[in-house]
Amino acid sequence: MAHSLEERCTPLKLEYDSCFNSWFEGYLEPAVSVSASSENRAKYSREKAEEYERKCGKIWASYRDCVQKAVEDKGLDGLLEQARTENPLKEPPRMS
Amino acid sequence: MRFFSQSFLYDDPWPIVSLAFFLRYPNPYASHVISCDVISRQFTPSGSLLTTRIILKTSTLPRWAPRGIISRSESWILEESEVDPHGKVVRCLTRNLDHVKALQIRETQTFNQVEEGKTLQTTEARIVSRFGWGLTKQIENYGLARFRKNVQRV
Repeated sequence: MAHSLEERCTPLKLEYDSCFNSWFEGYLEPAVSVSASSENRAKYSREKAEEYERKCGKIWASYRDCVQKAVEDKGLDGLLEQARTENPLKEPPRMS
Repeated sequence: MRFFSQSFLYDDPWPIVSLAFFLRYPNPYASHVISCDVISRQFTPSGSLLTTRIILKTSTLPRWAPRGIISRSESWILEESEVDPHGKVVRCLTRNLDHVKALQIRETQTFNQVEEGKTLQTTEARIVSRFGWGLTKQIENYGLARFRKNVQRV
C-alpha cells in the first residue's frame, strides 16, 4: 500500500507524494518550443527545479529525515551500501 | 541465468504513460506492495530527474522452497529511475536487495515517445540464482515463470 516503511513517516510521505505528483505532472510536459533549444531547456529545468524546491522542499526535508532514520534503525543502510558496492550503479543504464 | 524481454506500444502520450508508471502504487492489483518510499531525489545538470525508491514486497514461496534457509517471504526492492522530459524518456532499473544469493532479479524498463501520442515500453529482466544445492536451475525457472505471470498482471 501507499504506506511508508515506518508508520510514523506515513503522514509525511502522503503529504510529500501529493505535492510531488502535482508538480511532476507539469514537469513531464514542457512545451515543444522549450525542448527545441538547449538554452530554453536549461531555463526550463532551472525554473522547474526552483518551483519544486519552493512547493515541496520543506515537506521533502521532513519526510526524508524521517525515512533516513527509519532506514538506519532497520539496518537497511548496510543493505543499500552493499548493493552499491556489489553492483555499482551511479545512474540508470543509458540507451545506446 | 534466465533472460526475459518484452515490449509494448501504448496508444497514449508519453507524459500520461510516464505519470501512470510513477503512480502505479498503490493499486488494487498490487496488494503485495507493503511500503514504498523515496530515499533520494535530485536533478542532473541537464535537467533530468533522478529518483531512488525503496519498496517492500511480499510474495508466497513455492512449496519446494527449503524452509529455514529462506525464512521470510518479504523482499526489499531498490528502484532507480531517470526522467528526461525533453528527450521524452523514462529509464528505470529495479533489483532486489535481499535474498540475492537465492534469487537476484534485475529489471530494466524504458518508456520512449516513438511518435506523437505513442509510447513504447520495453522491459528486460535478468534472473540469476547462486543458491546451489542442485536448486539453481529450478529457482531460476521459477523466478522467470513468476516474472512472466506478474508482468501480465500489471
